[in-house]
Amino acid sequence: MKRTVPLLITAIVGFIFVVSFFTPAAEFLGELAAVWFDILAGIAFILGGGNLLKVHLKKISDRQAGWGYSGVTILAFVATLVVGLGKFGSPPAPKQEFYGETFATLPLEALPESLVARVPGQIPEKENGEPLPPSVRRQIVQRDGQIEFRGWMLSNQKHDLEEYKDRRAWRKTVEALYEAAQPPEPLRGKVAYYTDHRALSFKGAMTDSDRQALLALSDEPVWRQAVEQLYEQSRKVTRVRVSWLPESFAVPESLRDRLRYDAQTKELVLQGPLSADQRDALKKQFPDAEPLSAKQRTTFRKKLESLGRPLNDEQAKILDRLLSQPLPESVGERNKLLGLALLEHGGLTKEQCDSLFAPYRQEVAWRAKVLELFHAAHQVKYPWSGEYRAQGSPFWWLYEYAFKPLTATMFAMLAFYVASAAFRAFRAKNVEAILLLGTAFIILLGRTFAGVLLTDWLPDSLAGLKIDNLTVYIMQVFNTAGNRAIMIGIALGIASTSLKVLLGVDRSYLGSGGE
Amino acid sequence: MYEFLKNLDRRWVFLMMLLAVAVPILFRAQFPERPTGLARAVFDEIEKLPAGSRVLLAFDFDPASEGELGPMATMVVRHCCEKKLKMYFIALWPVGPQMIDDVIHKVILSDFPELVYGEDYVNLGFKPGNEGVIKVIVTDWKQLYTTDDRGTNIDQIPMCRGIENIQSMDLVINVSAGYPGTKEWVQYAATPYPDKIRIVAGCTGVQAPLLYPYIPQQLPGLLGAIKGAAEYEELVVQKYDRKKGRQPAAKYQEAKRRMGPQLVAHLLMIGLIVLGNVVFFMERSRRP
Repeated sequence: MKRTVPLLITAIVGFIFVVSFFTPAAEFLGELAAVWFDILAGIAFILGGGNLLKVHLKKISDRQAGWGYSGVTILAFVATLVVGLGKFGSPPAPKQEFYGETFATLPLEALPESLVARVPGQIPEKENGEPLPPSVRRQIVQRDGQIEFRGWMLSNQKHDLEEYKDRRAWRKTVEALYEAAQPPEPLRGKVAYYTDHRALSFKGAMTDSDRQALLALSDEPVWRQAVEQLYEQSRKVTRVRVSWLPESFAVPESLRDRLRYDAQTKELVLQGPLSADQRDALKKQFPDAEPLSAKQRTTFRKKLESLGRPLNDEQAKILDRLLSQPLPESVGERNKLLGLALLEHGGLTKEQCDSLFAPYRQEVAWRAKVLELFHAAHQVKYPWSGEYRAQGSPFWWLYEYAFKPLTATMFAMLAFYVASAAFRAFRAKNVEAILLLGTAFIILLGRTFAGVLLTDWLPDSLAGLKIDNLTVYIMQVFNTAGNRAIMIGIALGIASTSLKVLLGVDRSYLGSGGE
Repeated sequence: MYEFLKNLDRRWVFLMMLLAVAVPILFRAQFPERPTGLARAVFDEIEKLPAGSRVLLAFDFDPASEGELGPMATMVVRHCCEKKLKMYFIALWPVGPQMIDDVIHKVILSDFPELVYGEDYVNLGFKPGNEGVIKVIVTDWKQLYTTDDRGTNIDQIPMCRGIENIQSMDLVINVSAGYPGTKEWVQYAATPYPDKIRIVAGCTGVQAPLLYPYIPQQLPGLLGAIKGAAEYEELVVQKYDRKKGRQPAAKYQEAKRRMGPQLVAHLLMIGLIVLGNVVFFMERSRRP
């Protein structure tokens, strides 16, 4: 039995592949078998890991020669596995996160009765029996001639419902249900309920009046607890140390009540989370680059030249062009572009570089601080949603600073060993070896410019003898002919061996274990 | 001298190889390249595609062979960007996605920031199964690729809509360092669908001789090792930089730069083989 099942699987799948290759009608069967093969290949990675552990743990346990290397292998394997699977240090995927919002867990069933909206109407049935869209399926029911919706309806849910049936009456009902299933006026746009996430959400920092308005919706303890939790979390204070502020720093309008700079502790103090728009508004604290007039450009150039060497003609042209055109960037970005362009077309002194790049450095430092505040104030919804190989994560470090250089080094060391082996073993012992040596010389030279250099003087009538042409000739004629012969032989061998395997004549792939 | 050569410590050979590689790198030795027919064929296959054509880029290599294949991967992507082709990246090697990320950062994000992810290029990541993956996606793409590398549903990616299988691609470009690689792409994609799937490839030096039998019917173009990359680089740089009066950026001259150490190392190898044979013949003549 232990051998019969694998034999049967091999035979059936093998014949499926053969039949599907020659019969277009059976192509889907081959595809199905290949998909199963791919799934098993994925599982094989787990088996491979298990096998690696087994082999090396045994080596360590038996204290075999080189057991220390096995220890290093296991350590590296476990470390990579843990940091990769655990996604330690990987930031969550931005698209999966709800920036600017805080959450409190609340099951759909725990939503208070006051959050059930009702409109008269009938949920239409589709001819093909298609059920309601998944985004609303759990929240909507038909009861006593009315359509009930539990929770607050989101715009994407409204869209899904409208798309469900293209009838004017239905769209009107959906419109009415959407209006009925909205939070009370003072909370509109601030509060939401996400059924898939079983969570109540609040945008920004909750005020006392918002809290009262939410609490007024129900006296249920579960509801009150969720609101209190949301209130606490949305008012969390985040501090980030910022030793300086941009000259034109101003708190964006949308953050006026929640963000301040504490000059004593030199900290940016934020209450609640930041949305992506608020983050971008906070980042934008530097003046835009306006085109300069001819006089201003001359002053700019003189000032720059006074810090070091004069600009050459090419540099002067670049400066004139870049400073006169409207650029969508800030002054720092513009000066950085200018500095790089000037460096490409001539030199600049250190002082000139510093003068050009200083505003950009400031902007980058400020953006980094804003991002720090943005992430520190954010309540992570899905800590595992990020990429395991995100830059800066421990897995990335292992890959970038251990795996990558080590594998590259292993491969590069071949050059040294091949050179040593060639010196000791590549001998012209007989005619075959001489032929091989001659071919090797031609190919070695032909794969570099040396081949061209050595025989470029040959006239066109003897172009075939040029080393680069000889290389191509050897590869395309002798090599191809030899390889084709070998491949045809191998193909015939594979066909006969495969047939033996499929028919169960050759069972060596099952190993030597008994029944 | 004979005795010294006969008993030459291999560390001297290692030292010579180190110098042969290091000196041209330090002195930035570069030599001109003359593109051969195979490199020109790869260039022409990409060049003749109209803007908006779909190109599948299969990067089947790892950091071990990055030195040999990285420059050609960079150049292929740049060529596709210049031609405004739609790029679909996939990998059959577990660390292939990192190679794809590297090239995307090096070329697309830094030099073609106007290209939009999901509209102009998409990274579909790694799938296990070697040639099994190729076998499935030549007939039904969505059996295996339901999301991209970031986990986005493939139906939500504009450039993935309407693609049923690899036959929808106008060209497949494979950069490969071994198994699974070009041989598998030729056997399982190009050979069963000769009129629908065209493949060009770049491969390591040791693989190239094994792929020549497929040229030109199943494999119209092939870039063999760093030499092939340097030739192809020359063609792309000539068309998209020099003709426009621009100096190519250093990252687009990487293969050419790496040909310097290769030249000196090859000359050293020839010298060592000759020297080894001198010792061999002297030894034989001294034998009674």
